[in-house]
Amino acid sequence: MGRGRGPLAVGLVLAILGFLVVVQARSQAQDQGLAQLSVQDLTELVANVTTRNNQLREEVATLAQQQQQVQSAAQRGDTSTSQIRTDLEHVLAWSGVLGVTGQGVQVTVNGALPASAVGQLVNELRNAGAEAIALNGVRVVPGVVVSGDPGSLTISGKPLIGTTGTLVLVAVGQPETLAGSLSRAGGLVAQLAAQYPSVSVRVDPQDLLQVPATDRSLTPVLGRPRL
Amino acid sequence: MTALAGRIRSIPSWQITLGLALLALGFLIAAQMAAEGPRVQYTSQERTPLVATVLDLQKQQDALKKQVLDARAAIASLEAAGQGGAAVTKQLSDQLQNAQIAAGLVPMSGPGLVIQLSDSTLQVPADGNAQDYLVSGADVLTVVDQLWAAGAEGVAINGERVVVSTAVVDIGGSVVVNGAYVAAPYQVTAIGPKTMFDTLTHQPGFADFIRSRGEAFGIGVQYATPDVGVDLPAYAGSMNLRYGRPTATPSTSAAP
Repeated sequence: MGRGRGPLAVGLVLAILGFLVVVQARSQAQDQGLAQLSVQDLTELVANVTTRNNQLREEVATLAQQQQQVQSAAQRGDTSTSQIRTDLEHVLAWSGVLGVTGQGVQVTVNGALPASAVGQLVNELRNAGAEAIALNGVRVVPGVVVSGDPGSLTISGKPLIGTTGTLVLVAVGQPETLAGSLSRAGGLVAQLAAQYPSVSVRVDPQDLLQVPATDRSLTPVLGRPRL
Repeated sequence: MTALAGRIRSIPSWQITLGLALLALGFLIAAQMAAEGPRVQYTSQERTPLVATVLDLQKQQDALKKQVLDARAAIASLEAAGQGGAAVTKQLSDQLQNAQIAAGLVPMSGPGLVIQLSDSTLQVPADGNAQDYLVSGADVLTVVDQLWAAGAEGVAINGERVVVSTAVVDIGGSVVVNGAYVAAPYQVTAIGPKTMFDTLTHQPGFADFIRSRGEAFGIGVQYATPDVGVDLPAYAGSMNLRYGRPTATPSTSAAP
């Protein structure tokens, strides 16, 4: 190395080093914001949030109508309780305290799936708009958890699958939407088939399903409402 | 070592200055390039409007959620107060309020804990999958399930209450809960008994999670059990029953 080139070489090396340190630091800081999402992901996110916003708009409209009815009933001095009864029934059925009847899908699983895969099926159906779900006759509400080893799964501590070895999942909702979300190419059923070749998962649209009420108490004991 | 020290001492001071200047220049070039556009792999022009759209939609969603909660509160107070005080009406509106509390439609406070999940700070190996080093929807669901199993009576993820219809979905490296985009770090808050933390940390499923995600990939798991207790937000989404209707005969244990 010639006398004149030495400092330049050192400087260059340091400059490259500095550059690399910054680039490295930036890629290490896994920025969890929107900045890291691809166009495809962002598009999917837009679709997801838009769906929810539309549902919320419908809810706002329904509630506004309801509020007006209650208000005018109050002004008339009307003591009719039918509106409250309807609301009560709706909340109870939605939350799992009452049973729900309607069209939907039946998912029949034969073979030993892990608990997490059963959880994924439930999660996928909820995402597709399922209104009420039961696993082998047990209504799935907050707090109901499938656990244990494949082949001896439990639901909230009780055996989930009887001697038949079959898991039947029923979900009330738009049958085509629910079935489509599970069965689409690359969807959850396809993923499970690839991951657990010995397990069969069948999805059948149904015209009439019964989802039972939960036997859990959903009433909080420790928490206090902030009204 | 001594040879290196000797070499450094032998470098004239102007060379060090130049070196430092070039170093600074290197930093500036890198900072400039990074500031000029989003990540190199996503320099598409569609991105910026999409990000703006997501943020705008999320803002709309926050406003809509507030409208839902306000309307529910207004209806509840009308029903409770405005109806002539007939005993049967009072009883019904109390039942409705209890049902709403049980369903997660009312904000709650109580004893409990917060588990924070954060993305790994480990370097992704060359043959590794970067997604493994980010908190996934499945991770969040696992922690929620483990909290239920440990006796939680109410759970929320960031600002979203976990209710009967709650789905947790992955979109790229982000997580969507109740149809709302939630950003890392994820705070899973649970109201539950004082023993909940002990129970949780002794569950095989939770130990598996710590091993397979915390230890293997460096997913951060932090706990807090605030003395003042924790707060859960109300679920502000829709309660769809379009395809299903309540079963005609309520069981005797139906009304809380």
